[in-house]
Amino acid sequence: MFTLDNIRSAFRAAVPIMLGYVAIGIPCGILSASIGLNALQVFMMCALFYSGAGQFMIPNMWLAASPIASIIASVSFVNTRQMLYSAAFAPWCEGASKRLAFWFAATVTDESFGVNMKQFELGGWTPEQATFVNIFSQSSWTASCVVGVIIGNAIGIPLAIAAFAMTSIFICLLVTQNITKANVVAAACAAIGVFACKCAGLAGPAIFLGALIGVVCAIVFSRVCERIQR
Amino acid sequence: MEPITWMEFWIVFGVCAITMLACRVLPLFVLKGRELPERVSEALGFIPSAAFAALVANDLLTPGMFDAGLWPAAAPLAAALVVVVVARLTKSLLWCGIAGVAAYALFMMI
Repeated sequence: MFTLDNIRSAFRAAVPIMLGYVAIGIPCGILSASIGLNALQVFMMCALFYSGAGQFMIPNMWLAASPIASIIASVSFVNTRQMLYSAAFAPWCEGASKRLAFWFAATVTDESFGVNMKQFELGGWTPEQATFVNIFSQSSWTASCVVGVIIGNAIGIPLAIAAFAMTSIFICLLVTQNITKANVVAAACAAIGVFACKCAGLAGPAIFLGALIGVVCAIVFSRVCERIQR
Repeated sequence: MEPITWMEFWIVFGVCAITMLACRVLPLFVLKGRELPERVSEALGFIPSAAFAALVANDLLTPGMFDAGLWPAAAPLAAALVVVVVARLTKSLLWCGIAGVAAYALFMMI
């Protein structure tokens, strides 16, 4: 039910995400402005695409002169991990209306997944409250990114600095992944794959192909490890 | 660098938004409470590590990067190492961004 208590409890759960999104959304807006995206375009991306990694990847790959097809393939590939979250939430949304389930699923992020899943597991948490967590988080992200665009247009960041800020964010996202042997194989093979693609004159699709090579190598590595253990 | 045009924006934004929505919504309605096949879940779990490594490698590694001298190519690598340390200590995207930019600017002045 859309009650004041539900909204309050959802807000309390969403506050840490909202503060985190202010800290990351403003730089994301500044970097988006560096490739010529305006406040309306960034607002539309936040409202209908809503992906932190994706919204950092687009300016990063645009600055690296990647072809549009490569940008789309790479961003979409990274975002397939959302399927895991959606599948994990399915049991908790069985009693919810289709409209609410759709709205909830369409606004899940890495961070809100973590908060809502923890609340569902603790018990007493409803899809309505979870949807409010998502809405509060998305509102914070959208406002922060748009403010970032306005700041970015006002101060004008040198491109090399903007580009390395994005590299730093991807390094952080990489280093904070769960470190398993298979993930290390995925990362190492992806990096080697990117370099090999560039050496072969395939700089355009290098990120997508490199990531694909990394995933395939990690799957093969896992299969080999399973066979050795048997 | 040419700024992105509205047409280019519509293509990138439109396709990415549709694929994102499909990934977010379809499993919840199609699976109806059943779990994803184990192999599919495993493969999806490898994607973030591989993709973020590919993005970092694309920014830092280029064939012939040392042709213009050691330091111009090594400075971004050194700044990247600083970010790795900050990431391990803080796990904060914001601090990594600040540390990376500061280290990069500092090393490029040397």
